Amino acid sequence: MPVLSAQALSVVRSRQQVLKDVSFSIPQGEVHALLGGNGAGKSTTLLTFLGFLAPASGSVHVQGRDVHENLAAARRAIAYLPESATLYGHLSAYENLRYFLSLAGTDTDRDELDAALDRVALQPEARGMRMQTYSKGMRQKVAIALAILRDTPILLLDEPTSGLDPVAIDEFNRLARDLAEAGRTILLVTHDVYGACHVADRIDLLQSGVLVGAFDRPPGMDRIDTEAVHAAFAKHAAA
Amino acid sequence: MTGLIREIRFLSSDRAALLWLGIAVLVAALSVVMGLRETASQRAVLSELIEFDRAERAVVGELYRDWGDAAYYTFHLTYDSPSDFAFAALGQRDTSPWKHSIRALALEGQIYETDAENPVLALTGRFDFAFAANLLAPLLLILLLHDLRSRERTAGRFELLSATAAVRGSPWFARAVLRVGALTLCLIAPLWVGGLLAGTGASDLALASLIVALHLGFWWGVCAIADRFGWSSPVNLTVLIGAWLALAVIVPAAIKLSVEAAVPLPDGGDILLTQREAVNDAWDLPKSETMEPFIERHPEWADYTEVSQPFEWKWYYAFQQVGDQTVEPLSDAYREGRIERDRLAGTLAWLSPPALAERALQAIAGTGMAASLAYEQRVRDFHAELRAYYYPRLFRDETVSDASLAQRPEFGVDGALPPHPHR
Repeated sequence: MPVLSAQALSVVRSRQQVLKDVSFSIPQGEVHALLGGNGAGKSTTLLTFLGFLAPASGSVHVQGRDVHENLAAARRAIAYLPESATLYGHLSAYENLRYFLSLAGTDTDRDELDAALDRVALQPEARGMRMQTYSKGMRQKVAIALAILRDTPILLLDEPTSGLDPVAIDEFNRLARDLAEAGRTILLVTHDVYGACHVADRIDLLQSGVLVGAFDRPPGMDRIDTEAVHAAFAKHAAA
Repeated sequence: MTGLIREIRFLSSDRAALLWLGIAVLVAALSVVMGLRETASQRAVLSELIEFDRAERAVVGELYRDWGDAAYYTFHLTYDSPSDFAFAALGQRDTSPWKHSIRALALEGQIYETDAENPVLALTGRFDFAFAANLLAPLLLILLLHDLRSRERTAGRFELLSATAAVRGSPWFARAVLRVGALTLCLIAPLWVGGLLAGTGASDLALASLIVALHLGFWWGVCAIADRFGWSSPVNLTVLIGAWLALAVIVPAAIKLSVEAAVPLPDGGDILLTQREAVNDAWDLPKSETMEPFIERHPEWADYTEVSQPFEWKWYYAFQQVGDQTVEPLSDAYREGRIERDRLAGTLAWLSPPALAERALQAIAGTGMAASLAYEQRVRDFHAELRAYYYPRLFRDETVSDASLAQRPEFGVDGALPPHPHR
């Protein structure tokens, strides 16, 4: 049974059809990337899995259950990282993590927070500072740490490497792979072809709300063929 | 509980919210202090007047040798002491009289007299707790609640917060409860301190606190409805300020105008002028034209109506009373009209929760129109007692004696009339 699946999914926002007949499924422990340009419908797909948007037709399932019939259960199973996650600037990283984890009903001690922040390589001296003094990349690291600390079986990540420097992007890719190997299922949306090819087991190419291509990691290879994905991306973007 | 503690911590780091709450404490404390000062000042004035009244009463026997002089020159103090909750809602005590020194002459010429110290200040009203809680507090609540969700949407946190909160419920309710609760506390804490200083009963304070909480609860509902539309923070704020302007300013003004149009009152000046003319004309009329209508009202003095001298006190006081009788229909219409206006305003106040809450606080404080009318009635009753005291002495032409003077009615003493029966 797939952990996440979309079946003939169509979504209309502000009278515009933004997803058309999209279907895919993601088994447990897989990193699945939705790749596409601006306005392709990537974030809309995530919001539909979270129940913020209702399908005009078709359905989305989390752990085999229809999201819109089991919204609370679906959200309990998912940790969500929004695009350009803006945590509270007047709180420190520790305070933000405690606040959001408390909201999720998760108790964590300082060591656990530090362990997660270590995994995203946030400087220890910055952790007690107000986040309004952080760079975009530092804020993104804290948001990723939050997603990790949620300890949910599913992670939905919207442009997770946005604002990260190349070293941090590599660290994130390793982290995502580690989490997947530990059994967590990741659906990430991105327009970063290179990053998606390095981290994902499968890439679905989304263009104007329609799936126009799919690429799997070949057995025994450490990444999907970047050039093939890039060529397909460019071709559909030009069209 | 965990959610509330989490939100308390969160609120304690929200500088804007703390600023509005701080302003609420300041405004409430200031209003309570000003109310306490005003009622203390009114009590001080009354204490002084009561002392003067007693001193004057003590020397009347030495000053006047006949009852006509004594009744003419002696002023009798009446007053309406502020209740122990009046500091919170001064109400009609701004504009309506709460002390009258009256004589046994025609009453209608005296009862509408007032000595407002500063008519301009009286027009604008006092800054009291009722004003702070009913007019200003909704604004502060709007500032605290208008962007509860919209600012999270703007900051891109709304979906993260909602999705994360799946286990323990959304943070919005806890945040709103906390802000409404904190604002209520900021308002009623100074009120309770003021109440303790003024000796207010706990039940009155509890009732007033409930009114404040219910009123803020109404505005919370308005904010929640606006929030449902998903507007941005500036649009939310504009709509809510518009709602406040309508419900707290425009509707009460419209109610006042409607009530005045629906229930016309005789002009107060007409009452005064008609009564004065009736009294003045009496000097030139045959004395029988005064005594006949007087006897209709007081048949017990029918055997004493003969006036043989050009001036006799009993005739003088009879035409004072006939002056009152002449304007009785006007005076009754004026009084009944004010009662009707107050009743109608009370009904229409349901259209404006701030006006309704203000009336409720004034009712607890005994400072509303009903209390003002009740005081006026007590003055009328006391004036009737004065007449009942003087008439036998005037008509029988008795000699002034200390024993007889000692029986003079005194307002609020010897079980005659309590100073504020509405409490």
